[in-house]
Amino acid sequence: MLKAKNVRFAVKNHLLLDEISFAAEKGEFIAILGPNGAGKSTLLSYISNELEQKNKTVLFKEKLISQWDKRELPLHKAKFSQHQAGDITLEIKDVVMMGRYPYFDNTPSEKDGQAVEKWMEATDTTHLKNRSYEHLSGGERQRVHLARVLTQLENNIENKIILLDEPLNNLDVSHQFKTLEIIKNLTEKNNTAIVVLHDINLASQFADKILLLKKGKLVAYDTPANVLTEEMISEVYNFPCYVSVNPINQQPLILFGQNKK
Amino acid sequence: MQKKVQLYRLLLILLLITLVVISLFVGAYNFENSVLNTFLNLFTGSERISASDHFVLFQLRMPRIIMAILIGSALAVAGTCLQGMFKNPLASPDLIGITSGAVLFAAVTIVLGASIRPFIPEALHYSLISIMAFVGAILTMSFVYKMSTTNGRTNIVILLLSGVAITALTGAATGMLTYLSTDEELRNLTFWTLGSLAGANWTKNLVLAIVVITGLLFLVGKGKALNAMMLGERDAQHLGIDVEKTKKQIVIFSALMVGTAVSFAGTIGFVGLIVPYILRLLFKSNYTVILPLSIILGSIIMVLADTISRVIVQPAELPIGILTAIMGAPVFIAILIRFKKTL
Repeated sequence: MLKAKNVRFAVKNHLLLDEISFAAEKGEFIAILGPNGAGKSTLLSYISNELEQKNKTVLFKEKLISQWDKRELPLHKAKFSQHQAGDITLEIKDVVMMGRYPYFDNTPSEKDGQAVEKWMEATDTTHLKNRSYEHLSGGERQRVHLARVLTQLENNIENKIILLDEPLNNLDVSHQFKTLEIIKNLTEKNNTAIVVLHDINLASQFADKILLLKKGKLVAYDTPANVLTEEMISEVYNFPCYVSVNPINQQPLILFGQNKK
Repeated sequence: MQKKVQLYRLLLILLLITLVVISLFVGAYNFENSVLNTFLNLFTGSERISASDHFVLFQLRMPRIIMAILIGSALAVAGTCLQGMFKNPLASPDLIGITSGAVLFAAVTIVLGASIRPFIPEALHYSLISIMAFVGAILTMSFVYKMSTTNGRTNIVILLLSGVAITALTGAATGMLTYLSTDEELRNLTFWTLGSLAGANWTKNLVLAIVVITGLLFLVGKGKALNAMMLGERDAQHLGIDVEKTKKQIVIFSALMVGTAVSFAGTIGFVGLIVPYILRLLFKSNYTVILPLSIILGSIIMVLADTISRVIVQPAELPIGILTAIMGAPVFIAILIRFKKTL
């Protein structure tokens, strides 16, 4: 699906990404974890083709992502950005409709309207549809953009990829879970999701693989059980932790702040 | 939503038609036959058309109305596009100095033109001013854009102050040129600074129509791109929008339309500010809706202003720039009040 090979990215001689290689297969839910400044957002930006790629480093569906047709790519790939604009003077339904821009020229079709409705329903934003974006709370804005990004991928193309940068910011517990379940559902339909998360336990619970970064370097890329060990997490986050087992799904459960002894 | 848009479009078109008809009928000239009869006679092929009636109707009033429509839609669409690009409702061509830049170049061409005129072909004499006005517009636009925008984010204070600086420079230069110019050149310059559609004729309209229609064809479909750019340029690209290309087209075609409008009718301020302001009250900033509607509303405001300018002090004429400024200044203040709340 998506292959990154020796990704290097530097800003003013400061190396943000240092020789990162990994491959995401179809149907995988991949969580990017790491402390502040590890390069999580930069990596996501890089593989989503936002940053200028000097070398042939990112392949999407066996083709260089920078070589994809600019109008075709949005049907296969969508990205949710961490920092959402605050000054969008539109009604919510028009913001979500932007997700359909790759599909129509001037007037949205009935299908576009249906896609908007479907994902507004799923993200609990239907009641906001006639409200102004400026008057929404942080969490509501977050869900509106999530609806927009999901609406963008509503088509019959197989093996799409969705890249999300901290989609759970500002969300309450129930919406955090709903969001992760939506993403999980997508990956169960053979799509791939690469998600930057902060909550290690949610990552452990939902992700198929975890990509652990520290100071621009790839520390580990494997299943939660293999990555989320006491040694690895304490070392990467530079903070003591204790790993137990989640009694419900038997995944690793990380408790921060104390050692076992 | 779609229904509301269609309703307003219909209402605006009806309003425009009504205004055009009224504008045809009113004015300083007393018809020998009435306007209606002149039309009837023309349709029935009757011979009883007074030559002067015919002249006033078809060589004075009609070209003026057509010019008002062309310039109104050009200024309104350019204003709306610039506001979208700079993400601010104050970014209209006159406030950020683009009109001034065009005037400056046009003025320099008028005064200095006398000395270079013998060396250029006759056909270029008139278009020279248009071309120079376009050059002035595009230079100022690039200047204010570079001054005020870093990484796709516009600092609106710098943007407006760049406009002030350029307008000041233009003021100084036009003052200087006024001092240097001969009587005939002086009259030309006054026309330039206050604006007038009195010089309208079919030849000018033809040139204007070609420029404006080309510009509109490129810009009117930019609604989706401008909406998406509200998300930020990177997110717009994820929606398949070519942001750089969009911005280049907006810069070039807005400059082309504003420059040409200035060279044909002088400075007519605030149209690019009033029209999007009114449409935003109805449709928020949804550019897919307000861009096409600004063509019609721009025409309406211009035909209205020009008709008033012809009628209010007849048989004399009030410069149209005064009227658009009277309409525009309150809008400017209203936007400022709203802007203050967001600070």
